[in-house]
Amino acid sequence: MSALGARRLLLAGTATIASIGTAHAQSTTTGTVAGTTITNTATASYTVNGTAGTATSNTATFVVDRKVNLTVIATPNTPKQVNLDQVDAYTTFQVTNNTNGIQDFALSANQAVLTGILTGTDTFDLNNLKIFVDSNNNGVYDPGVDTKTFIDELAPDGNATVFVVGDIPSTVVGKMAQVGLKATVAAGGTTGTLGPVLVPTPLNTLNQDNEIDIVFADDDNDGLIGYDTANNGAGWAYGAYDIGVTAVNLSVVKSATVLSDGVSALNPKALPGAIVQYCLTVTNSTLLTPATGINLTDVIPANTTYVPGSISVGGLGTGGVCLTNGFTQNDDGTPPALGPYRGSFNATTKTVTATIPTLIGGASVAASFRVKIN
Amino acid sequence: MTLRILAAAIPALVLAAPLAAAGPLTMTTRMMVEKRVAARDGSTATTMIPATRAVPGDRITVVLAYRNGGTAPIGNLVLANPVPRNVAFRGAAAGSAAPEVSVDGKTYGSLDGLRVTTPDGATRPATANDVTHVRWRLSSPVAAGQGGELAFQAVLK
Repeated sequence: MSALGARRLLLAGTATIASIGTAHAQSTTTGTVAGTTITNTATASYTVNGTAGTATSNTATFVVDRKVNLTVIATPNTPKQVNLDQVDAYTTFQVTNNTNGIQDFALSANQAVLTGILTGTDTFDLNNLKIFVDSNNNGVYDPGVDTKTFIDELAPDGNATVFVVGDIPSTVVGKMAQVGLKATVAAGGTTGTLGPVLVPTPLNTLNQDNEIDIVFADDDNDGLIGYDTANNGAGWAYGAYDIGVTAVNLSVVKSATVLSDGVSALNPKALPGAIVQYCLTVTNSTLLTPATGINLTDVIPANTTYVPGSISVGGLGTGGVCLTNGFTQNDDGTPPALGPYRGSFNATTKTVTATIPTLIGGASVAASFRVKIN
Repeated sequence: MTLRILAAAIPALVLAAPLAAAGPLTMTTRMMVEKRVAARDGSTATTMIPATRAVPGDRITVVLAYRNGGTAPIGNLVLANPVPRNVAFRGAAAGSAAPEVSVDGKTYGSLDGLRVTTPDGATRPATANDVTHVRWRLSSPVAAGQGGELAFQAVLK
C-alpha cells in the first residue's frame, strides 16, 4: 500500500517536472500504462481596475485503470503433421498482451474441441498433454529447455510463443486430434511467479480516483461456437494434429549375382564354392513422406554359408541391382564406424537383418550380403 | 525554519502565490469521462461522470469553471490550460466556446493555421494530436459574482 502510494507520488512528481507533450509510454498501441496519474491544472491572467492579477486552479487528477486485453492465435493456423507413436508432438500458439500493463498469463488446454471451429473432425486425443512457453524464443519446442508452464511478466504489446505438447497414441480412431489453448490474464509484478488471475472491478464498487480498476476489454477470440467470450479476461485459440499419411508405398526387390566361382573370372557360374551376392533395394515411392525404421530380414538359402562381415547397407541401387556398396556392418549388430545404418547376422536362424532409420519419399537404398555355395 | 529562510531569500516568488489565491478570480478544474448508459427504451445516452474509471481510448472532457468572487469586474481574462500528459486534444466540448490552441505553448490560434516542425526540419500542418496548450480569451468583462464554464474534449492515450 505504501509502496503504491510512493509510486504515485513519483509519477505525479515526474509529470510536473517534465515538459508537456514529451513522449512517455505513448509509443505502445495499448496506451497509457495503468497506474499513470493524469493531472490537470489551469492558469488565468486578468485585470481588475487596471491592475493585473493571476489565478491558478486546483489540480484535478485521476489514475489510468487497467484495460485488460489479449489475443491468442495458432501459428501457423494449419494442422501439424504428426506420426503414430510420436512423442512430444506439438502445436504452436502466440499470446499477445494488449493490456496497458505488464501481465502474467495462466495457460490451460482442452482436448474437447467443438466441431466447426477448425476444418476437419476431432477423432482422437493425445496422451500426456502439457503446455510450455518457448523460453529461448526459437519457435521450436525444445524438451527440457522450454519448461515454463505460464507466461511471466509480458510487457504491453509483447508476445510469447506457447506449445501444446503431447504424445500421439499407437492406434487411433480417424486421423485428427484438435486442442484448444486458453490464456488467462493474471497479475504481473513478481518475476518467476504466476500472479493471481485478474478479476474485473465491479461496476458498482465505490471507486476512488487513485485506485487502479481492472476493466476487461478483450474480444471474443474464437467466434460464437468457441469457448471464449468477450470481456472475460481470457483468450482461446485452437490447433490440430493431423496424421496425414499413415502408410507409405514401400517396395523391396532382390537379386543375386555370382561374384566368383574359382573357375571363370569372366563369367562365373553358381558352382559349389562360388560366392554369391544378394542385393536388396528398398524404394519409398510415396513422394514427400519419409519412411522410418525400415527393417529388412532375409534368411540365407539352404546349402549356403554366410560370408562373415559381408553385410553392406546404404549403397546406391535400384530395381534389385546394387550399383555401389554402402557402409559395411558388424555381424553382431553393434554400430559400425560410419553411417546411420545397422546390420547383423543371426547364425542360429541364419537370418540377415539390415536396418534403415529413414528413407525419404521417392528414394531408394541398397543392402547386400554374400553367401558361399556349399 | 528552512521555509522561512527560503522565503526571505526570494520574497517575490513566495508572495506571488498568496496574492493569486486571495485574488477575486477562483478557478476549479475537473476531468470527466463519457459513459454510455442504456435507457429502458433501448436507446443509449451519453452522460458525463467524474473520471474515476478511465482506460486508454476513453473520451475525457476537461472542464474549467471560473467565478469572479470580488466586487469589481474582471477584464482581459485569459484562461490557459496545458493539455495533460498522456491525453490527446480533440476539440471544444459541446456548449463551450472554442479555445485557441497551441502546439508549442507560445503561438496560439486555430488548429488549421498552425504548423509543426518535423525532426528533419520541414514543417507540416498541425493535427489535434499535436496540441499541447489551449486557452480562452474572454472578450467581455466578468461582472462581480458572475462566472462560467469552459471545456474541451480529449481522449486518453
